[in-house]
Amino acid sequence: MDQKEKRLIKKVKKGDHQAFAELVDRYKNSVYTICLRMVGSREEAEDLSQEAFIRAYNHISQFDSDRNFSTWIFRIATNLSIDSLRRKKPSVSLDAEIPGTEGLALNTILPGGETPPDEQIVRDETEKWIQHEIGELPEKYRSAVILKYIEDLSLKEISEIMNIPVGTVKTRVHRGRELLRKNMKASRGEEDDML
Amino acid sequence: MTCFNKKYVSLMNKVLDDEATKSERDELFAHLATCENCRRHFQELKQSTELLNQLVHPQLPIDFTKNVLEQLPAEKRHAIRKWTSRHPFIAAAAVCALPMSLIVIAAGRQNMVQGKTDRDRFILLKAPENRL
Repeated sequence: MDQKEKRLIKKVKKGDHQAFAELVDRYKNSVYTICLRMVGSREEAEDLSQEAFIRAYNHISQFDSDRNFSTWIFRIATNLSIDSLRRKKPSVSLDAEIPGTEGLALNTILPGGETPPDEQIVRDETEKWIQHEIGELPEKYRSAVILKYIEDLSLKEISEIMNIPVGTVKTRVHRGRELLRKNMKASRGEEDDML
Repeated sequence: MTCFNKKYVSLMNKVLDDEATKSERDELFAHLATCENCRRHFQELKQSTELLNQLVHPQLPIDFTKNVLEQLPAEKRHAIRKWTSRHPFIAAAAVCALPMSLIVIAAGRQNMVQGKTDRDRFILLKAPENRL
């Protein structure tokens, strides 16, 4: 961890909000990406990211300053996402089909207004398909694959985040990768059959 | 359908993890040149992870950090503690100033009361003379 970050942590431990704001700004987008790819919904991912930072602040006394803050906050984010997946409260996704309607999604009937640029994500079919395929992975493979291929973290970093040996991370990445290949191939095959 | 030789699957993993030696790489690619199934399998593995890499990294709303800060426990108490630890002498002086000022005020009052009664007595004593 760099010296600046160490100083920030020291200040945060004394209750300095401004120092914490700097840490949030440093890691918020990575945290958001992890949550988003884990749960697949932007609103939920935003809530989870917020919760992750609030938890980090409230438990900062337990954080060992000799370790990386990124590892710690990514672990909190991953665990919160997994918890939320397990609670499995059916979340309302804007592009999910409303039951009992033929292909009618909430985002087609909600008043539009100005479309935020982020909405393009929802529109992007490829993006949606990839996200769907990630969501098909069991959560332990999913988190490993996300940290490896979306966050570009090393196996060692992932092992620290997930608190499992490097060998186990490797196995999960391999299995996740293989499963992703298989599922993507299958869903592509279906598409080809329809054509 | 893949070639059922497990050896090549594990070589593929090593290559994809960037952990293969030069000779292991050579061995895998030599095999891929002759085995179409393995070649396709390797290609698909590479493609699926490359797709993940292409996903956009969406941005959070600008007020995200502000929203987080608003939900943190109040800073006030800490702010005072922080200030006093940085300025211990001023803090000590401030703490001493309170009883000191009370003493000064009280003493001043007593003097005033004393002065007043003295003056009153003087006026009372003097009064008859003035009237005369």
